[in-house]
Amino acid sequence: MEDALNEAASRVPDYVLRPVDGTYRRLNPTTKLVIAFSAALVAFGVRGWTGPLVVLAIVVATAAVTRIGRAMRPFVLATIPLIASILLVNTFLYPGAEDVLLRVGPFAATGTGLTEALQASLRVVAFALSVAVFSLTTPTDDLLVDLERRGVGRRGVFVIGSAIRTIPRMVERAGEIVEAQRARGLDTEGSPLRRIRGILPLAGPMILGAVTDVEERTVALEARAFSAPAQRTVIRPIPDSPAQRAVRWSAGLGAAGLVALGIAGILRFP
Amino acid sequence: MTVPGAAAPLALSGVRYQYAGTSAWALDGVDLTVEPGRILGVVGPNDAGKSTLALVASGLAPLAIGGRLEGSAALGGRETRELAAHEAAQRSGILFQNPSTQLSGTAHTVWEEVAFGPRNVGLGLGEIVERVEASLAALRIESLAPRDPARLSGGQAQLVALASVFALRPACLVLDEPTSQLDPEGTRLVGEAIRRLAGELGSAILVTEHKTALLARVADAAIALRGGTVVARGTVREVLEDPALIELGVDPPPAVRLRRALAAAEVDAGAARRTLDALAALDVKEAAG
Amino acid sequence: MSGMFSTRVIALMPVAIAINIVLGAIVQQYLKLPIYLDSIGTILVGVLAGPIPGAITGVLSNLIWQYAPVIGGGTIGPFAITAGVIGLLAGLWGWLGVYRPRPASGTQLLLSALVGAALVILVVLPIINNPAYTNPDIGGYPDWVYTAAIAIAAIAAVVVAAFIYVRRDLAGLWVAGAGIITGIIAAFVSAPIAAIAFGGVTGSGTDLLVAALRQGGADVLSASLGQGLFSDPIDKTITSFVVFIVLAGVSVRVLARFPLGERLTGGRSA
Repeated sequence: MEDALNEAASRVPDYVLRPVDGTYRRLNPTTKLVIAFSAALVAFGVRGWTGPLVVLAIVVATAAVTRIGRAMRPFVLATIPLIASILLVNTFLYPGAEDVLLRVGPFAATGTGLTEALQASLRVVAFALSVAVFSLTTPTDDLLVDLERRGVGRRGVFVIGSAIRTIPRMVERAGEIVEAQRARGLDTEGSPLRRIRGILPLAGPMILGAVTDVEERTVALEARAFSAPAQRTVIRPIPDSPAQRAVRWSAGLGAAGLVALGIAGILRFP
Repeated sequence: MTVPGAAAPLALSGVRYQYAGTSAWALDGVDLTVEPGRILGVVGPNDAGKSTLALVASGLAPLAIGGRLEGSAALGGRETRELAAHEAAQRSGILFQNPSTQLSGTAHTVWEEVAFGPRNVGLGLGEIVERVEASLAALRIESLAPRDPARLSGGQAQLVALASVFALRPACLVLDEPTSQLDPEGTRLVGEAIRRLAGELGSAILVTEHKTALLARVADAAIALRGGTVVARGTVREVLEDPALIELGVDPPPAVRLRRALAAAEVDAGAARRTLDALAALDVKEAAG
Repeated sequence: MSGMFSTRVIALMPVAIAINIVLGAIVQQYLKLPIYLDSIGTILVGVLAGPIPGAITGVLSNLIWQYAPVIGGGTIGPFAITAGVIGLLAGLWGWLGVYRPRPASGTQLLLSALVGAALVILVVLPIINNPAYTNPDIGGYPDWVYTAAIAIAAIAAVVVAAFIYVRRDLAGLWVAGAGIITGIIAAFVSAPIAAIAFGGVTGSGTDLLVAALRQGGADVLSASLGQGLFSDPIDKTITSFVVFIVLAGVSVRVLARFPLGERLTGGRSA
């Protein structure tokens, strides 16, 4: 009996185990998450050029190693409207700046403004790329399995996992409603009042459906023994190591420390 | 296979149920028993309490939705009110009409979906693998194992949901209008699965259905429900051929309707017998749609 | 299972998160209005289940929208703090019974409608008189900002009053109040985030307002705040009304099963 069970345990199919390839990808997902958060903290929290540039350097190096350069493009492209706005508004309209570089009509581009604009832009790009690295190298499921083990529990993991998988289906349904509305005259170009009035027919059914659906989903979860007190069995073991633990703690504490010291005025970088 | 004296997988006696926040009795005195390997069909008009009966029979009423339960609702000898929801789930499993809300929505593959229940109760990995393999085999859906549960047809999704419920090895299975959102092919697949689960694997099954032709094909016995009480019971043939069924607002199977039409038209016995044979074949087709 | 995180709430949260993200994305991409509509789910959970589930819904929505594969990207992540605060507040309003229907008629109704309109004007006045808009020492501000603010206040006052009167329900008054307060607090929480992380802009159309305010001499933080105080109260009030209307259409039986259900139904029976 024992042997049969042990043998059975080895029959978990590959499409369930979904092993990952690549040194960085094979890191524990929580490690990668802590790295991403630390990078964000440093990019935004360490003011000046150094913070964002260091993060950028690390991110670019990681991207090269994991060969996700191409895939990161959409993440960068998505920040373009924001960066354009940052550059324009801050270069020309930075309050209190006196060092004018050039005048365009009533607006004056200042050196201070430009510096701030460039630094802010760097921050945004560094952040966006740190997000990209995480998203592209960490399957959500791996992260959730690991987080469950670390105390987030089956309920937290269910909420996150289910939300992520519900979104595409909801987008499809919403798309159908929007198309039907367009055919009936919902203007995406018309007056603001018209557009607002178009939202309720879209939002209404979605929310009502959500609340009434909850009953069925609750019952379905209970019917599958979701409230059982036992620890959920792990099907896909996610490896970890003391070395990674050290990396997580140093990255997290290091980032927090740098930011705190910067705020306290003790440690400032160019 | 039945151990003499063993408690029935499902035994309701004098059951009355009231939903939380209401004052009416949705079920008002129901008695029924389902033994291993038997299939009990439940027919009745829309507000008869069929779905409520399903929730009570699976223990979810009152364990998951609250409400007031009177009488005895016993799963394998244990009263549902004494159980925790997850214990009831392992004694009596339930399948609903809508495949998409009852799949966990978190599994990448059908294999993992079926493993959801066993994982929740903390079974060992080897045990889980064996149960998943057995459930997939019982429902004949091994080929669906690597598929994404969100991308299945209605019939396939229902089979996956049924396999997932079955993986907890409940002695009793409750199916609440399992084919109502399915096309003929899906209905046929589910009907076959039901027969197999009872016949080959000994599950005690309670099925509520509008499609009386399906019940004619798979069920052994039936009850008719109205206003929360049982108004008729017997073999499935007896109940479905009872003329009073039409008053209840339940459509008898086409075979029964045609039999009556032939008798009314005074068709002779020989022709009738030949027609009845053809009707039997129609039953099969109708059950599929 | 403790009420706050019962299976029912756990089944609701993923759908609420999905609604936040899907509606937020649709409004962002198709409707081009100065509102976000990305907290409907957050407020829904807060009102039904309490401050902590509401806050968690908000925070998770932002983090998932930022970091999840396929969905992820953009720059919404840092505003997770704001989302958490919105959820907390929604839980508070739910607990206080703000969303409970209060049928009324005759003079009481008329008076409440007028009070609603007055409330809107009263709340908007300090916002408009924010130094960022009015202080002559800072250099004045473009006229259109002040005019636009007055016009919007007038329309909002009329809409709120009409809502109360036509639905014969005093709750409209409370919901409007809750929405406005939530919006104001959200603006105050978001402004520093936008200023620190994103150079004070958002990359959307409202940056024109930011530019105008800076033109008038406001500093980075004040300009951000000025923009927030314009968008957030409108957005949160509309969101609150949407949630209110939808919940009013849900049966008492279903509402009663949620942790704060009693406060929504006021002990009505089915």
